[in-house]
Amino acid sequence: MSLIDASVRPENPPVPRMPDELNADVVVIGGGPNGLILASYLARTGASVILLEKRYEVGGGLATEEVIFPLYYANTHATYHMMVDYMPVLSDFNMQRHGLMFMKPNAQTGIIFRDGSSILLSKMVSDSVDSIGRISAKDAKAFEKIIRTYTKMVDEILGPGTYYPPMPPVDLSVRLGRTEIGKALLEISEQSPMEIIDDLFTDPRVKALFLYISCMWGLDPWEGGLGFMVPLLICRGMNKCLCLGGSHKFSGTLSKEIVINKGLILENAEVTKIIVKDGKVEGVQTFDGRIIHAKTVASSLDPQSTFVRLVGEKNLPEDFLRSIKQWKWDKWSLFTVHCALEDEVRFKVNDRAIDQAFMNIIGFEDVDEVVHYLEGLKDGEMAGMCGHATTETLYDPTLTRINGKHVAFFQMLAPYNLKGGWEENQKKNEEEALKVWQSYAENLSDENVIAICSESPLDIERRISCMVNGSIKHGDYNPLQMGYFRPNDLCSSTSTPIAGLYLCGASVYPGGLIIGGPGYLAANTICEDLEIKKWWKMPPKIQRYVEEYIQ
Amino acid sequence: MNNRYDVIVIGGGPNGITIACYLAKCGLSVCVCEDRLECGGGFENAEPIPGFRIDPHATYLYGAAAPGFEQLELAKFGLRMVYYKTMFGSVTSDGEGVIGSRYNSEGMSNSLKRYSQNDVEVMETFNSTLMEHALEILRSIYWTPPPPVGVTLAREDLPWSKEFKKHVPIYDDAWNDMSTFELLDTILDTEFFKVGFAMGSWYNGPHPDWAGTGLFGLTCNILNMYSSGSPLGGTHSMIHALVRCALTHGATILTNTKVEEIIVEDGEAKGVILADDAPTRTKRIYADRAVISGVHIKDLFLNLVPSRHLDPVFIQGIRDISLKGGSLFVLSMITTEMPKFIGRAGEILSGTDYPSCVFLPSDDREIVLNQMRDVYSFNTHPIKKESIIIPIVNHDIFDKTRCPPGYHVFSPIYLQMPPPEYHVDGPEAVNKAQDEIVDVLLEAIRGVAPNITEKNIVATFVNTPYDSAFRNLGFVGGNWLGISQSEDQWYTARPMEELSRYRSPVHKLYLCNHTSYPGGLGLMAVPYNLMHILIEDLDLKPGGWWYPSPHYISEKEVTS
Repeated sequence: MSLIDASVRPENPPVPRMPDELNADVVVIGGGPNGLILASYLARTGASVILLEKRYEVGGGLATEEVIFPLYYANTHATYHMMVDYMPVLSDFNMQRHGLMFMKPNAQTGIIFRDGSSILLSKMVSDSVDSIGRISAKDAKAFEKIIRTYTKMVDEILGPGTYYPPMPPVDLSVRLGRTEIGKALLEISEQSPMEIIDDLFTDPRVKALFLYISCMWGLDPWEGGLGFMVPLLICRGMNKCLCLGGSHKFSGTLSKEIVINKGLILENAEVTKIIVKDGKVEGVQTFDGRIIHAKTVASSLDPQSTFVRLVGEKNLPEDFLRSIKQWKWDKWSLFTVHCALEDEVRFKVNDRAIDQAFMNIIGFEDVDEVVHYLEGLKDGEMAGMCGHATTETLYDPTLTRINGKHVAFFQMLAPYNLKGGWEENQKKNEEEALKVWQSYAENLSDENVIAICSESPLDIERRISCMVNGSIKHGDYNPLQMGYFRPNDLCSSTSTPIAGLYLCGASVYPGGLIIGGPGYLAANTICEDLEIKKWWKMPPKIQRYVEEYIQ
Repeated sequence: MNNRYDVIVIGGGPNGITIACYLAKCGLSVCVCEDRLECGGGFENAEPIPGFRIDPHATYLYGAAAPGFEQLELAKFGLRMVYYKTMFGSVTSDGEGVIGSRYNSEGMSNSLKRYSQNDVEVMETFNSTLMEHALEILRSIYWTPPPPVGVTLAREDLPWSKEFKKHVPIYDDAWNDMSTFELLDTILDTEFFKVGFAMGSWYNGPHPDWAGTGLFGLTCNILNMYSSGSPLGGTHSMIHALVRCALTHGATILTNTKVEEIIVEDGEAKGVILADDAPTRTKRIYADRAVISGVHIKDLFLNLVPSRHLDPVFIQGIRDISLKGGSLFVLSMITTEMPKFIGRAGEILSGTDYPSCVFLPSDDREIVLNQMRDVYSFNTHPIKKESIIIPIVNHDIFDKTRCPPGYHVFSPIYLQMPPPEYHVDGPEAVNKAQDEIVDVLLEAIRGVAPNITEKNIVATFVNTPYDSAFRNLGFVGGNWLGISQSEDQWYTARPMEELSRYRSPVHKLYLCNHTSYPGGLGLMAVPYNLMHILIEDLDLKPGGWWYPSPHYISEKEVTS
């Protein structure tokens, strides 16, 4: 904190003061998507809920901010919403009445090569097959065949399973092993993304597309154990949605649901302590000394913030503490260049449909370059300016205050510990990234660029403090801290060793990337533990999953 | 989504949201349509760099005297205030300095006693007597509707006349004719202290040289001193509390939902037509009891109400309304050091006595008067360091949520501009001269605080009046006070005489924007005043939480 504190606390303040102590049935720490979802479900049960957010706006990764200041907003974190089709919160709450709308364009993910050739994955399988066929007829056929299997895996198991509590791997294997599709899923899980893609496809350009899609959110191309993410990310990568009005509209709408049900949201309210006595939670304290008494506290923060910083080491069993301290942060983070443009970006490409794509991958000529790039990240290097670009205003013109202008970004996977440091190299990287982007585009001249700014992994950490090392998922996706082990086997069902303390953030099963899983699962657990009647029912897709695969 | 409500409010700025709270709390179904991604209007904060909060427009809470805090129970919805030890400071090029503050009487007196014992005594009285009765005095001015149209009150019958006379012995009805400078000259001695005060008037209301506005120039400063702070996190926090209050009482709030037209039939407002890209299936929403405009009076009658429902004389009157006065060039600056002022100012304005708002360099009232001539008469922007006095505002030494440790944010740093519409070199002139203007501002700061250099300036951001007009449709002309606050457009003449009671020529269409009385500054005053009118016209039954102004005069009293 700044060394000078020149504020005063008058005895008779002119404006009625909020009490220094509050009471609630449940306190939720962190107003990101999961905290908001949990608070929404609980508030509607009639429980008194207080949600505490450090920043001046809730939303966490659902952030739409005027970073190209003034006049141009960008989604500074989540732009691609991949689980809109499965998130129970969207079907359980009628949020459309607040004007919340998700759009799923057909042209989903393109990859553009230097010679003007390209591949475009669309929502429609046939369009995707046609496009892959321009590069390789054989791979198009292979894709057409495998996507049916993958779609079934996702629709029947992986999608709904995201919103069902985790179970020990052995138990899950036994259950999934009872069906053909389940067996296939178990087999594929053992493999690495590279193995899966090598088995399926022959053309190095086709492989580049699918490997990037499979690994971009934090998978090691050579690591086995999380192979199930390949079908998940490929299918969901063909079904990404954007939130009209900006991703923050989603969090704004969740806030409304909390408030309408008498929940209290406090921004600018960083929690500095979770009060624990005799192994039980008693409440929390915020940075300004306010105390909120509650017998149930749910933290959406990363495990080190929750346990080491807020609960305190002395309140934790040693083994548990050790496991928390071993928590690994994301393998890499993101470097994003945001631009305000006169015109939407048009690429030098032989398929005009590419210009309509929600996301376009540029900078890679073949799969070896993708692998090389991902490996370089581990060593703090960006092997070139390669990544994915999106013109945000293509489908959502609300992001600019000036009609007809555009907002776009070029986003690259980037190491937090960049060789040479981000402070020293950000400007240079921004300029180089723009040059690369310009080289793929037809109309991205300097005249077209009205304003430009960039955000590094340091900025991500600065904005959202539990994204340590710019960890957008609050922690690495690797077999030791995924599934039943996220964050560890004691807490993956959202309960913790401390009575009354729950986890509900991206560092708990099923993970991050705005899937709304942890918040939903925590709502279920807390209601069950406190014997609060749930006003919601298990969605049909999840029910079917349970009946066909789990029971 | 419904398409029928009791009331539709166009515009979710501070005024629109507040009237929505009041009416929802009366049990009406209310729908607010806001064009931008978020409600809030001028009460907004931004973080162009994560962790560093800037104030593109509103920066202080001025309206702590508002009945709304109590009536709407805003503390229940999360509103928390931060109060500042020292609010205001004035520094000269010679290194002289004074501070003014409600909560730092000792510091204020110490700084003033070098210059004038009279001023010490006046300000001590200000802090004791005046602050003690500031609530009644301020409410008689701002939180009281003007009298019924056509009624002119004798000077001694003006609500504030009565309150001032009760509590402030030196009050004189002649103050109502004076300019701010004239009024200040009757009570204070120290020139650069007066210049600072006068700048406080200019940036919050009337120009300190305009006749007949001196009292309001003074009371702007009283508003600021009485409140002495800002919501925790910035003014946008207050919008969150207001929005949540409205939602809790059942209001519907739609964002990125622009209104294109007001449906008028037989001279009566029936509803609104939304823009084609509104995220709703239905683009027509109907209002059974009232349509309330939270938007600028010019936008309302030149865009939203089709001209066939208005007469040409009225329309010309709307066109003639002056936009001068609050078109601000806003610079935000992130530094790693606090300014260290030269000379005695450096000793006084330091540590926990550093004021939130410093006017510099307050050398001479001539600078203020010449600045005004540039902006209002010649319609050009000042470009020389010697021709300007500017305010520079800091919040982070009071509010720790504003930026990380080791940094400071100075936001806003303001400079008055002609509205783009009136600029002699065209509407984009200020935008084109942006970099030059920033250099002049930084030079002015360095002139009295030489330690602020490129070495410790981390980043700067600018929003010009032209930018502001796009960012926020309520800021026509980039004017965040709506329209000029000269005597021609104040009190019973704001924005036009026939509109001064918040009613409009279109039946059931009401005004709730800072282009009505008492203007801007987010006081929750326009909505409170409008409530008096609506309670009568719509026969509302608020409940025990509502109380009107004791000075309110109803049309019924006049006709009886």
